Amino acid sequence: MMIDVRYLWLRLGQAVLVLLLAFTAAFVLLSVIPGDGVTARFADPALGLSADQVAAIRAETGADEPLLTRYLITLGGFLTGNFGFSVQTGAAVSTIVAAALPSTLALAVSGFLTAVVLGVLIAVFATFGPTTGPRAWVRRVLDSVPSLFISIPVFWLGILLIQVFSFQLGLVSVVSPGPAEALVLPTLTVAVPLSAPIAQVLIRSITEVKAAGFVKVTAAKGASELWILVHAVARNALLPGLTIVGLIFGELVAGAVVTETVFGRNGIGQITAQAVTNRDNPILLAVVVLATLGYVVINLIVDLLYPVVDVRLRRGRTAASARGLRRPSQAASQAAPQTMTRQRTPDDRTKQALAASASSVGVDLDWGTDDHGTRKARP
Amino acid sequence: MTDLRPPHRATGVPGARLGATTRRSVLGVGLGLGALAALSACTPTDTDPLTDGPPVNGGVLTYFEPQTWTLLYPPSVGFYPNGGIMNNISARLLWQDPETLELFPWLATALPEISADATQFTFTLRQGVTYSDGSPLTAANVAKNFDLFGRGDESRTLPVSEQISNYDRAEVLDDRRVRFHFTAPSPGFAQATSTMNAGLLADSTLDLDAEGFGPGSATKIHTAGPFRITAETIGTKLSIRAREDYDWAPPHLEHQGRPYLDGIDYLVNNEYSVRIGAVLSGQADGVRDVQAPDEPRVTEQGLRLYAKATNGINNSINFRFRHPLLADIRVRRALIAAIDRQEIVDKLFTPNYPLATGLLAQGAMGYTDQTGAWVYDPAAANRLLDEAGWAERGAGGYRVKDGQVLALTVNTALPQPRSNEVQTLVQQQLRRVGVRLSINPGDQAKQTLDALDLDSIQIYHSMVARADYDNLRSNYASVNRDVFLNAVGRDDAADDTVDPEIDRLLDALASEPETERRQAAAEAVQTYLVDQAYVLPFFEEPQVFAFRRRVRGFTTEPVGRPDFYSTWIAS
Repeated sequence: MMIDVRYLWLRLGQAVLVLLLAFTAAFVLLSVIPGDGVTARFADPALGLSADQVAAIRAETGADEPLLTRYLITLGGFLTGNFGFSVQTGAAVSTIVAAALPSTLALAVSGFLTAVVLGVLIAVFATFGPTTGPRAWVRRVLDSVPSLFISIPVFWLGILLIQVFSFQLGLVSVVSPGPAEALVLPTLTVAVPLSAPIAQVLIRSITEVKAAGFVKVTAAKGASELWILVHAVARNALLPGLTIVGLIFGELVAGAVVTETVFGRNGIGQITAQAVTNRDNPILLAVVVLATLGYVVINLIVDLLYPVVDVRLRRGRTAASARGLRRPSQAASQAAPQTMTRQRTPDDRTKQALAASASSVGVDLDWGTDDHGTRKARP
Repeated sequence: MTDLRPPHRATGVPGARLGATTRRSVLGVGLGLGALAALSACTPTDTDPLTDGPPVNGGVLTYFEPQTWTLLYPPSVGFYPNGGIMNNISARLLWQDPETLELFPWLATALPEISADATQFTFTLRQGVTYSDGSPLTAANVAKNFDLFGRGDESRTLPVSEQISNYDRAEVLDDRRVRFHFTAPSPGFAQATSTMNAGLLADSTLDLDAEGFGPGSATKIHTAGPFRITAETIGTKLSIRAREDYDWAPPHLEHQGRPYLDGIDYLVNNEYSVRIGAVLSGQADGVRDVQAPDEPRVTEQGLRLYAKATNGINNSINFRFRHPLLADIRVRRALIAAIDRQEIVDKLFTPNYPLATGLLAQGAMGYTDQTGAWVYDPAAANRLLDEAGWAERGAGGYRVKDGQVLALTVNTALPQPRSNEVQTLVQQQLRRVGVRLSINPGDQAKQTLDALDLDSIQIYHSMVARADYDNLRSNYASVNRDVFLNAVGRDDAADDTVDPEIDRLLDALASEPETERRQAAAEAVQTYLVDQAYVLPFFEEPQVFAFRRRVRGFTTEPVGRPDFYSTWIAS
């Protein structure tokens, strides 16, 4: 498929700018906080150093240079791949981050995938099945699950999972777990609150798409609920879900700080928590830049995925019409005009297509349309 | 963390216990953190036999620390996680008995020859000692060690050891003898060579910079102790293993040769409930830093609880007399009379935290009994404050003089047990006599930085442990920890508020070579500090450990750091 090269370059340029701004903002903010890591470490009474000795060490580490000089030195270091040294331990920041990154990546990927699966499952079962009758409570309960999940404090969930599954049932060891064993509970801890926004957005968008005219038409033609969900609703409801997936990355990072602390995993989250307590600015700067990079990359991928998922967002006409034919709504819309320009909203197209196909089977679809073209279900 | 005491301490019948636990567990799930107490309380009790047999070799001990180690540079191992490692991997010239505090030879063949004025110390080294990288212990190597510890190296951000004062140079006399020279008497040096802060390093390790002593390089640290570092997972785990060829234990010890354990895995978890839970559930063998409210739970579960004395300065608050509000001795005496130490110890701690009877713990060198110096008497406190001109009461019932409120700020001593709770009680007690106490919030870095400023912190809560007379100097001298901020040339106080008598008495102590006279000099320091009402000690601070029953022979060195050399695991 075709990717707009100019668009890609533009986005990459934006990404670099965002990184630079994040770095600068973090640097300035960390410098504004009174006291720095060098004093925090060497003036610690546990070392018993005199004020003169601390001053000598400060001079040696360059902590007393002017702000701009330190900024330029640090920026130069980052550009050449030298992230400096931890103030607290003296170890190279690159060593510390490199040791922590794989563990966080594993947790992020597994937590993220679990969250997506969990979110999709909740959304599907919250919108599937009868709305009335004895089993309707299933839907009602599942519908409120996202609100519950987002309200669970991560640290509480983590501690509770350890208490139950490790200390009570002895299923998982916290002392010397295997690589997979070590991931199970942290993954669950991260995934539960993360799945909430995904499920919430999917529930809303599935409900919305289900109320659309073309779905009713398809149902009228005798398609089963499952068939409709898979073939008609899923693809249309996916887009808002994809957007939220890009946005929850930030939450993933925040969740990792707490989860890694509770489970004693040496990850980016844990070193961040420790660096904050020790005013270890070189580590914090590296973490901020790394997290920004992750955020930028994920959202870039999401943006590039939009046209893959939704033909309406593609530029080329050929690809759009070729893919569009597979969709039941459009397959049924032989009468609809094939001029699918970006100016025309998807709702207009759908409306036209459905009006045509509905009238062909003798049904009058009198759906309401508000200013934004949002479809409303007929009461 | 909330109170984690078991919810059913009174029930003795096994059946009733089970029923209560189940009900409580169900309730607890809905009640948030309360659930943890109930759930953990029904972990199986440790029922291993307690009978001691002959020690057996083998087994790796898993041991939980609350924080990851930061630096294995010996002068910096006062930080508990660092010291817990360094004490087990390093060997020293001398060995100090944790009970009697007497010094014995270790890597030296005998106690050092000390010149009459305590400015020269000559050690003769044991032969056949090797470091874990295979290099031998030589006189040149020992000299190189103390040249670094005694002088520091600012270009490598390796600080000087606070325990070695007046260091000049080391002189290699021959391949077995080394002599240390001092610019002034340094009678504490012999003891300083016995602490983990003087753990000897191989030549290759001595050339490392601060990065080389930090996380990521642990396996490059080569020492001569019974264990050596074999593996490191940054931030979560450090493994040390027994040296089979270790054959230079302190000669007077019964246990000689390799350690009984095959090794120790130090695990790190910041979350207290996880650490204590791991030991209670039997997943780990031991944990440091059991908090006072958990002690009954640990013993009820059948585990062994060790409260080890740290033999140093007691957990105390120091009144920074250079601040205008504390300059009047009547105000300081009033604060002391207004604080009920017995209530603090009874409400917040267990009998493992004995009420302080002096500035120093009873087991410390230089201990002087000062019982009776700190009597709780709120009426006297009110009278003293009235006399000092603080009779007027302002808003909230706080005392006012010339429009200024009698308001003071105390730091939170995060490494010390329940500092915040202690200060909250003190806050209530002082409020009753019209004194406002604020507790400085914030993390360790903020506490450290604020404590350097007289305007931020006027009452300083701290403790420090070293089993030597010099401990007093480390804590109170203006060139060391300077708890009173009593050094000249400060921006926040005029120089004429300095009390030069403190440093004068401490200098007299530091330069006194004879033991009996050192005791007298130490007593003089303490008497002066007590007479001036500069310090209020609360309790003797222990290090509290919990171990599974199968772990035998656990001991600590004189200031409460774990010593695993003679520890063994019953099969």
